[in-house]
Amino acid sequence: MFKKILIANRGEIAVRIIKACQEMGILTAAVYSEVDRESLHVQMADEAVCIGPAPAMESYLKMDKIIQLAHQISAEAIHPGYGFLAENAGFAQKCERENIIFIGPNSKALSLVGDKVRSRQTMQKAGIRIIPGMKSIPKDISEYNKEAQRIGYPVMIKASAGGGGKGMRIVYEEKKLKSALEAGMREAKSAFGDESVYLEKYIEEPRHVEFQALADNHGNIVHLFERECSIQRRHQKIVEETPSQALDPTLRAKMGETAKKVIEVSGYNNAGTVEFLLDKDKVFYFLEVNARLQVEHPVTELTTGVDLVHQQISIASGEKLSFQQEGLQQKGHSIECRIYAEDPHNDFLPSSGKVLFLKEPKGPGVRHDGGIYSGCEVPIYYDPILAKLIVWAEDRKLACQRMVNALNDYVILGIKTTIDFLKDVISHPQFRAGKTTTSFIPKYFDKWEGREKTDEHLRVVLMASAFDSLNSTQAQKGEKITPKEIYSPWQSLGKWRIGGK
Amino acid sequence: MDFEFLIDDKLRKISLERKESGFVFSDGEKTYGVDIYSISSHVISILIEGRSYQVYLAREKEKRYLSLEGEEFIVQEPEASQEGVQKGEEKSKEGELTVKAPMPGKVIKINVSENEEVRKNQTLAIVEAMKMENEIKSNIEGFVKKIFISPGDLVDSEKPLIELELKK
Repeated sequence: MFKKILIANRGEIAVRIIKACQEMGILTAAVYSEVDRESLHVQMADEAVCIGPAPAMESYLKMDKIIQLAHQISAEAIHPGYGFLAENAGFAQKCERENIIFIGPNSKALSLVGDKVRSRQTMQKAGIRIIPGMKSIPKDISEYNKEAQRIGYPVMIKASAGGGGKGMRIVYEEKKLKSALEAGMREAKSAFGDESVYLEKYIEEPRHVEFQALADNHGNIVHLFERECSIQRRHQKIVEETPSQALDPTLRAKMGETAKKVIEVSGYNNAGTVEFLLDKDKVFYFLEVNARLQVEHPVTELTTGVDLVHQQISIASGEKLSFQQEGLQQKGHSIECRIYAEDPHNDFLPSSGKVLFLKEPKGPGVRHDGGIYSGCEVPIYYDPILAKLIVWAEDRKLACQRMVNALNDYVILGIKTTIDFLKDVISHPQFRAGKTTTSFIPKYFDKWEGREKTDEHLRVVLMASAFDSLNSTQAQKGEKITPKEIYSPWQSLGKWRIGGK
Repeated sequence: MDFEFLIDDKLRKISLERKESGFVFSDGEKTYGVDIYSISSHVISILIEGRSYQVYLAREKEKRYLSLEGEEFIVQEPEASQEGVQKGEEKSKEGELTVKAPMPGKVIKINVSENEEVRKNQTLAIVEAMKMENEIKSNIEGFVKKIFISPGDLVDSEKPLIELELKK
């Protein structure tokens, strides 16, 4: 097993990986950009090194610098998290050459599945159904026009190198194609350092169902069932759950076996996710392999009892999977909500700034994976994900209720977040009924304004504000603020120390 | 003591008096005897006729952010926010329309040049923040009077990007 791992990421996922390493007795080294000195991952890691200025291109994407650093500090492996270098085959290859273990798939498989055009060809050859689309990336922008006509509008522009909705656009008519392509290419370039985009047929109202797979370096492959990720805004997932309401045991088994086949024909190892689109007639199409730890991995962890980050690290260190397909089962229901620094009242515009106060929800079946704390700054340079709230319950109905309660119990003051919006999503009758498709948000939440505030609540908030004003004027005048009259033994004890004399 | 607050941009006049047995709150229509405790610097517990409320509060400059039972509120003192309104009015009096960035970010592209005629909803510039591109659109029919930015600039939400002039 490794002694030290360098984590080439930031935010909640870096924190998540550090926790797994700590549980496994592995030392952690964080890297950070100049604006991230106060970030949680820097505070939590055993070591932390600044690798450059704020823009990701000059810090978190600096491959050679990161590899060199791994050598310097004697880290045997690099965990890339998600985003940044996670699906960069060039980086994986450099690691291989430099004898640093990349915690992810081998560079050959990564380069295959990372190239969505080539991976689609491979899958098609293996008899796996794919969505009609382009067979190659054209050299000239005008060739996209011809291809779009052949496939038929509406078409979807997708970034060849990445996911997460970056670079993605739907185009309904020819005259909008050029500007959408340009924007998509720019976005792809800035997010992944590669501007290649391709077109495919846009399937309307589909469900997005993906299968988690694990493959060790000895040829053993298992799947850990599905995640339904249909609730999206801007083609980016915001709510994920498992099990999917759209699958029955037969379809689940069939899709699971297909997912394993995808992993096998790609020569893929470590953790990966096989994405499918499921249309309204329950026909499923292979979409792509997400060659990384997914943002939504916790819902799989809570329903299967398998810690995916532990598995990634064990597999990368050469260990065999300790379980087989037959030993895996889904238990209960899990839902994840992504908490973004975005203003749902204003077209989900990013909202950077200072988190003045944070209260994480707690309780039975509630998990909070976060990268923020009271007083932290949310910089403008990176993905606006702040945290993930995940619940588990015996069944879906209770899981929904538990999620709404946890969201109610979740306080982030100072910046705009999606918490309130998510509450309404989970409470929506169509969501409760399990009728989730990728058009759910545009269809039911296009004109979302939030709930009206009650007089009762306004009154209480005014009382609190006035109380706060009274206290702060008193404090300014140097008057003593009435201490809380709750009995606390610590107040009467004076200074004390555990084991002290 | 009397207070005036702007709560979610609505003006409210209230009073809160400290008495021996607690507080008396009045909103002009009704008076309530309430129990208010400061639990910590960000948590206030309020009891009104036995009903319990937990309020979370944080201050930044003149703004108070509060959260109650999962709902968020912004409370300001009216003097502080009025200044801002007056400044804004002065600007529009001069007949100039300044386009500002809706959020802090980086200018990726400028789609127009000075003196160019623009339609309503035409994209003027593209600002990237948190890896998403956002189109800055014109909300009027008119002309581009002045461009204050160039590609690559970092802008915050107060910085003027482009000045427009209404079509006459």
